[in-house]
Amino acid sequence: MPLPSKAFQRWLHGIAPDASTADVCRIAGIKRTTLAQQLVRGKVAESTLVSISRGFHINPVQALSTFDLYAELRGDPVPPTPCELVSQVATIDLLRAVVDRSEPGAAPAPRLSEPPHPTSVRNWVDAIDDGELRHRVSDTTGIAPQNFSAHLTANRLPPELAIATSRAAGVGPAGGLVAGGLITEAEAGWPPNARQEALDKLSQGRLVTLAGERLLALGKTLRRQEQDHERTERIWENLG
Amino acid sequence: MTAVLPWVTLAVCLAITIARIPSALRGENREVFYIFSLISLSIFISIEAPYLLIDGWLGGMNIGNLILRFLLYGTFYFMGIKIATAFGSASAVRAIRGPLGIAAAVIVGALTIYFFVITDTQGSSAGMSGLKWGPSLDGYAAMGRLYPGFVAACLIPAIWRTVVSTAPILLRVASGLLLLGLSLLLSSQLFPLIPFSEAWLRVLINYSAALFTCLGLAGIWFSKSFARRKQRLSA
Repeated sequence: MPLPSKAFQRWLHGIAPDASTADVCRIAGIKRTTLAQQLVRGKVAESTLVSISRGFHINPVQALSTFDLYAELRGDPVPPTPCELVSQVATIDLLRAVVDRSEPGAAPAPRLSEPPHPTSVRNWVDAIDDGELRHRVSDTTGIAPQNFSAHLTANRLPPELAIATSRAAGVGPAGGLVAGGLITEAEAGWPPNARQEALDKLSQGRLVTLAGERLLALGKTLRRQEQDHERTERIWENLG
Repeated sequence: MTAVLPWVTLAVCLAITIARIPSALRGENREVFYIFSLISLSIFISIEAPYLLIDGWLGGMNIGNLILRFLLYGTFYFMGIKIATAFGSASAVRAIRGPLGIAAAVIVGALTIYFFVITDTQGSSAGMSGLKWGPSLDGYAAMGRLYPGFVAACLIPAIWRTVVSTAPILLRVASGLLLLGLSLLLSSQLFPLIPFSEAWLRVLINYSAALFTCLGLAGIWFSKSFARRKQRLSA
C-alpha cells in the first residue's frame, strides 16, 4: 500500500473539495473503516484510489499518475504489444477461437471476457519475458525470485511490482495493472477491439500452440489442486 | 501447576472421547474412538490417586506401571499406523508395522518385562518415583520412552509436510498441534539429562505432549466437520 496518505489527501481535496469522508466512501463504494485505517497507517491502497476515481468519473490511470510513484503513467498511453493483448485473452476464449477457426461458419463466438482471467498475471509476465525479465525485476526491486513466482501462482500483482516489471520489460506501464485487475483495459487506453484483433492476427499454428501451452499449464495446476485435495481428504477420512 | 496438568489432560481427553461416542456408534472411524479411549485410560492410570488405588488391588508392587507401559505401547502402535496412513506416509506405515517396527516393539516389550522382573518394585508409587533408582530401573524407564519416541520420529516428517502445505488452514493448525505433541514426546528421550530435583519438568513435558497430541487429533476432526458444514451451507 504505497500511496502516502498526505499526498492522497491532497489529491482527494483536489477532486472533491467539499465532500466529507462519508460521502466519498458512499460514492466510491468502499468501507469507511477501510479508508480510515489506511489513512491512519499513512499508506493508502491503490485500489482505494481507483474506486474513488471511478466514483467521481475520473480516469484512474490519470489519478494514479499524479503520484510520484506512478509518474510513468503520465502522458499519452503507450499502446500494448500484440503479445500482451493475447495474454489477456482468457484460456476458454482462446479455445473457442481454435474451434471457430477449425469449423468456420458455426455460431459466432461471444465477446471476449474482460481481463483479468484466472491466469492473467502469469500469462502477461510470460508474454513480455525475454528470459531474463525475472532477474532484472528482482535486481531492481529487491524482490526475491521465489516471492515473485508466488505472486504469479496466486495470480496477484501488486501495482508497484507491475510498474517495475513493465519497466524492466520495456513495455507500456499500464499493462501489468490490467493483468493484476487494478484497472480495466479501457481505463488503460487499450482500444475496445484490440484483444480480438490481436487474436485474429495469430496464425493458426501460433494460436493452437498457445492454446496447447495454456492447457498444459492449466492441467498442471488442476492436477496439483487435485493432489492437495486428495491428501486432505485422506487425513479426514482416517482421522476425522 | 504440574499437579493440575494431569487432571486437565485427562479431562480434555475424556471430553473428546465422549464427544466421539455418537460417531463411533454410527460406525464412523471407530479406531479413532478406541485410540482416544486408550489415551484416556493411560492418562487415568498414570495419575497418582487412581494409580495407587489400582496398584493396591494388584498387590502393591507396581504391576500397574507395567500394565501402563504396555497400554502405551499398544496405543502408540495403533495410533502410529492410523496417523501414518492418514498423512500418506507409506514409509512410516512400513517402519511401524513392518519387520523393523515389530522387532522394535518385541524387543522393547521383552526388555521392559526383564528390567521390571530384576528390579525390587515393592511399594506402590506413581511413576515409580518412590523406589530406589538403579541401573535396572533406568533401563525400564528408557524402554518406556523409546518405543513412543520411535513412533513419533516416524510420523513427524509427514505431518510437517502437511503443516507447510496449502491444505485448509484449520487442518494445518491442527496438524501443527499434533506435531508439537509428538515433538515434545520425542524430546522426552533427553529426560536422563534432567536432574532429579527438576522432576516437575518431566511431568510437564509428558502431559503437555499428551495434551497437544489429543488436541491435534481432535482439531483434525473439527477441521473436517467445519469444512463439511461450510460445503453444505454454500451448496
